[in-house]
Amino acid sequence: MARNRIKPAGGFELTAWYFMRISGLVLVFLAVGHLFIMHIANNVENINYAFVAGRWADPRTGWIWRLWDLCMIGLAMFHGFNGLRQILDEHVHGAKARVAMHTTIWTVMTALIVLGTYAIWMFQEDRAYVEQWKAMNAKAVALQPPGAIHPSGGSHAAIRGKLPNIAGD
Amino acid sequence: MSSTISEPKAYRAGKLAKLIDGLRYQGGIGQWSWLVHRVTGLGILLFLVIHVVDTFFVVFNPALYDHTVAIYGGVFGGTYYWPLRWAFRLAELGLIATVLFHAVNGVRVILFDFWNEGCKYQKESFRAVLLVFLALMIPAAIAVILPLATAPEHITQIPENVATARP
Amino acid sequence: MSDLADPNTGQIRWRDLTLRIKRYDPEKDREPHWQEFKIQAHPMDRVLDVLMKVKWEQDDSIALRKSCAHGICGSDAMRINGQNNLACKLLVQNVKGKTITVEPILGLPVIKDLIVDMKPFFDHYKAVMPFLVNDDPAPTTERLQTPEQRARFDDTTKCILCACCTTACPPFWGNREYVGPAAIVNAHRFIFDSRDQGAGERLDILNDSEGIWRCRTVFNCTSACPRGIQVTQAISEVKRALITGVVDIPEEAEVLS
Repeated sequence: MARNRIKPAGGFELTAWYFMRISGLVLVFLAVGHLFIMHIANNVENINYAFVAGRWADPRTGWIWRLWDLCMIGLAMFHGFNGLRQILDEHVHGAKARVAMHTTIWTVMTALIVLGTYAIWMFQEDRAYVEQWKAMNAKAVALQPPGAIHPSGGSHAAIRGKLPNIAGD
Repeated sequence: MSSTISEPKAYRAGKLAKLIDGLRYQGGIGQWSWLVHRVTGLGILLFLVIHVVDTFFVVFNPALYDHTVAIYGGVFGGTYYWPLRWAFRLAELGLIATVLFHAVNGVRVILFDFWNEGCKYQKESFRAVLLVFLALMIPAAIAVILPLATAPEHITQIPENVATARP
Repeated sequence: MSDLADPNTGQIRWRDLTLRIKRYDPEKDREPHWQEFKIQAHPMDRVLDVLMKVKWEQDDSIALRKSCAHGICGSDAMRINGQNNLACKLLVQNVKGKTITVEPILGLPVIKDLIVDMKPFFDHYKAVMPFLVNDDPAPTTERLQTPEQRARFDDTTKCILCACCTTACPPFWGNREYVGPAAIVNAHRFIFDSRDQGAGERLDILNDSEGIWRCRTVFNCTSACPRGIQVTQAISEVKRALITGVVDIPEEAEVLS
């Protein structure tokens, strides 16, 4: 078999291609799991600051969710923007145009990764806000139990406009 | 040297003509799965950019974050609009479908590359992709659409920002 | 034309067909346009026969390449009813519907009607060194290999360079710089040949940014190949050789070495 060994594999396009497969496989679990937690296990309408804070700032399990989200944002951004680059490479041919395109793509990607990583890494729970939020909504629920807010029983059109304008209150 | 015949020029199809001709190509399952994989990939990337930016609000402006995500529940500016809630629910379903297809078909593409027999079952594996996709999508659709049958339990009230304890 | 029907049986039903051809005359047209011809065709006629009949009897200005007309020379590749094929390999009886739509293969400059400029295609073919590379002193007899070693690259020896696969490839439509499936198939034919020593160099060429990694496993090449080559499979094998750095060739038998 020795003569069949050609050389160690390498090169940018090879690495990028390989990365797309590996990151894709990992993202199947991370992203689909994330979707399941946010859209199936929870009602997306109940996701808010208090929910996010409860996940990320939990003293025992917070680091798991932060690690999950950090891995996901890094892999998803590289995977997505490299995919975009591969598509645009098929349509942008000039040497200068390609350099400009690649530079834009990697810059935007880096900016978004920094943005997301900062949010996940530096997040600190705003307790005063959460307390105030809980107090306000405990009152809101107490004042308007399900049914009271929706006397007609089913039609969305019926409750349209009858709800209190919260911003104005 | 003079010539009475003008130099003939070859026709090079432009981007639009190539796109139309390409879509007219009868490539079958392989071409359609590739096209849908590409379009769903671009859609997910677009959503991801929006999602990273809106999640960034959480670190410096909790109230802005709550007002933004309240839109997903149909509440805009403190007022509930049921068509908004329906539109976001359907968009949510579209997002789940997009991610699920891209994920399941992505596994199929990986099998072509890392499993020597993968290419032999190109068409069969696409049918398997559709089956798995539907098997995951139908319960997901029920879970996502069912809450629309009833009105929201209550409209969350969002407090003013408290200017403490933020980095 | 119905008097050409088989006089012995009278059973063969000629088909009334519409032949739609994408015409382009470089001296008159700025863009290609469609032209239709009515014709009766025998079910056992090839699409090439239909085309030639129209050319002989209705419009002799139709331009197309053909040579052997038996699926070997690879010169009459065109897009028939939306899919690349050789006009001499597709029979009228296998055509669905009443219209045969014929257009030039996509992705290469159109010189006239169905004739395209094949230079970019052959440039990519030449780029992968489609010839035996072996610097050992020439033996006095043949360079031997086992049947298993010969079978390793048998599928890719069938290529006739008709360009059906490369011009069915969406990445190639967008980017003519992409080396394309046909060139990879011909590289595969030598990379996996036990007598060849140029695999490393060929893999290096295919590892280029416009090389094999532009393949998106669309499978249009495999379904278009008139020779039935499993093109995507061959491309996958070359990719695996690049990823692992190992060219998987059956071991030489003791008796040969």
